[in-house]
Amino acid sequence: MAKLLIVDDESDVREFARSFFKKRGIEVFLASGGQQALDLIAKERPDLVLLDVRMEEMTGVDVLKYLRKANDQTKVIMVTGVEEEETFKEANSLGVISYIHKPLILEELEKVVLAQINK
Amino acid sequence: MAIKIDYKKELESAAKGMILIHDPRLLMKLIVRSIVQRVHIDHAGMILYDPVKDIYVLSISRGAQGSRIPEGFIRFDKTNPIIKFFCQKEYKYLVENRNALVAEDINKMIWKESVISNGNGTKELLHDVSEQMPLLNAVACVPAYYQHNLLAILLLGQRDDGNRFDQEELDFFSALASDVAMAIRNAQLFEDLKREAERNRNLFIQTTIALGSAIEAKDAYTHGHTERVTKYALAIARQMEATKIYDFPPKFFENLYIAGLLHDIGKIGVAESILCKVDKLTEEEYEIMKTHTTRGAEILSPLTGFDEVINGVKFHHERYDGKGYPTGLKGEDIPIIAAIIAVADTYDAITTDRSYRKGLSKEIAIGEIQKFSCKQFHPLPVNALVELYNKGEL
Repeated sequence: MAKLLIVDDESDVREFARSFFKKRGIEVFLASGGQQALDLIAKERPDLVLLDVRMEEMTGVDVLKYLRKANDQTKVIMVTGVEEEETFKEANSLGVISYIHKPLILEELEKVVLAQINK
Repeated sequence: MAIKIDYKKELESAAKGMILIHDPRLLMKLIVRSIVQRVHIDHAGMILYDPVKDIYVLSISRGAQGSRIPEGFIRFDKTNPIIKFFCQKEYKYLVENRNALVAEDINKMIWKESVISNGNGTKELLHDVSEQMPLLNAVACVPAYYQHNLLAILLLGQRDDGNRFDQEELDFFSALASDVAMAIRNAQLFEDLKREAERNRNLFIQTTIALGSAIEAKDAYTHGHTERVTKYALAIARQMEATKIYDFPPKFFENLYIAGLLHDIGKIGVAESILCKVDKLTEEEYEIMKTHTTRGAEILSPLTGFDEVINGVKFHHERYDGKGYPTGLKGEDIPIIAAIIAVADTYDAITTDRSYRKGLSKEIAIGEIQKFSCKQFHPLPVNALVELYNKGEL
């Protein structure tokens, strides 16, 4: 079963995404912050990470930096709101697969995620 | 035992809320929350139209954890089956007598004679709708229209007692939804009006600046005069406020800015032969020249809310001792805006070249103005000007 990690500090987002992808036969893991995300990536080796950019404790870009520093090339899709140009530049240089912009269209979320997981 | 809800009463109290709460988003949050509590359902939400981006966003969601949908997380465009179903007229007849789209009705709809026979994709659309509704934790969707435009959709989840919504309840939700649409519409109209007013104001200020430079075009010697006077006047007022000798109302600086740029606008009505005359003006010519203050006030008189600006234009040649024009106002009767412009105007007149003499130094100008404090000039703006000079800020 494909593994998907959802990283978001908003519990409603985590719960919604979990039930959304569970119905599509995906094993879903949840992390509410950067450190928990890094631990879960190391332990569960997910096929894909959905990473929120704006989080209180550690930003999505910071999580990505740590990950790449540890020479971990896990596939990451960033979930963004209104962001600075700089954020995209930095994330691009860290090898992000693609972005999903909030508010998002459910069909697009599904398409983007399934396309990566079934690769 | 289920408690019977007096829906008429609920509707009345919601309507009262519409009047009291002007922020429609807050109102909708309250409505959605009270639906969850009073009707005892696991989830209620609201999809709202965003006219700026031309999309629909699931903006409000209340209910049990796990049933809620993150607010502002999901958007829908017009190809979304639920949006399409409510936006296109051809599907209206399917929900006409229900006022809502109820999940358990969809299966019946699909097998309707009209749906099977028309073959234009209605059946597929209904299939898609019935797949979307559980994703949004909704067993019923209630549309809210304003003049056939879909403004919102109220999403209703499962009832705690497992019962279905009866028609009385659906009618109640529908009435509530159309009240909500009205509240949204009113708020949008109000926003549009505010934006329009702001745009007009900016346009007016631009026009003002253009008019100001039109005056200068008539007289080469006043080139840059209005701009400098405005700059000095604002500096004087800021200094007065900084030293706490004067507390200006919030709009004062904007008014002073406009009045500074417009203080000589009345010269538009004065003949060029007088304005640009190198020799001394005759008494008759001087009388005409003096009318630029009242002419300026007349030009601006049709504008509402510009009383203070007009005061600045009309009275900037009044004197503290009452010997000025056009009305001979005295001392504190002269509006402070005019008293400030008078000092700024004189300072610039002394320090720049005129048709009849070269410009004089700052020291001489400051000395002259100080000499006439409490005679020609209000002492407070004079003091502020001297302070600015001493600080090297002139």
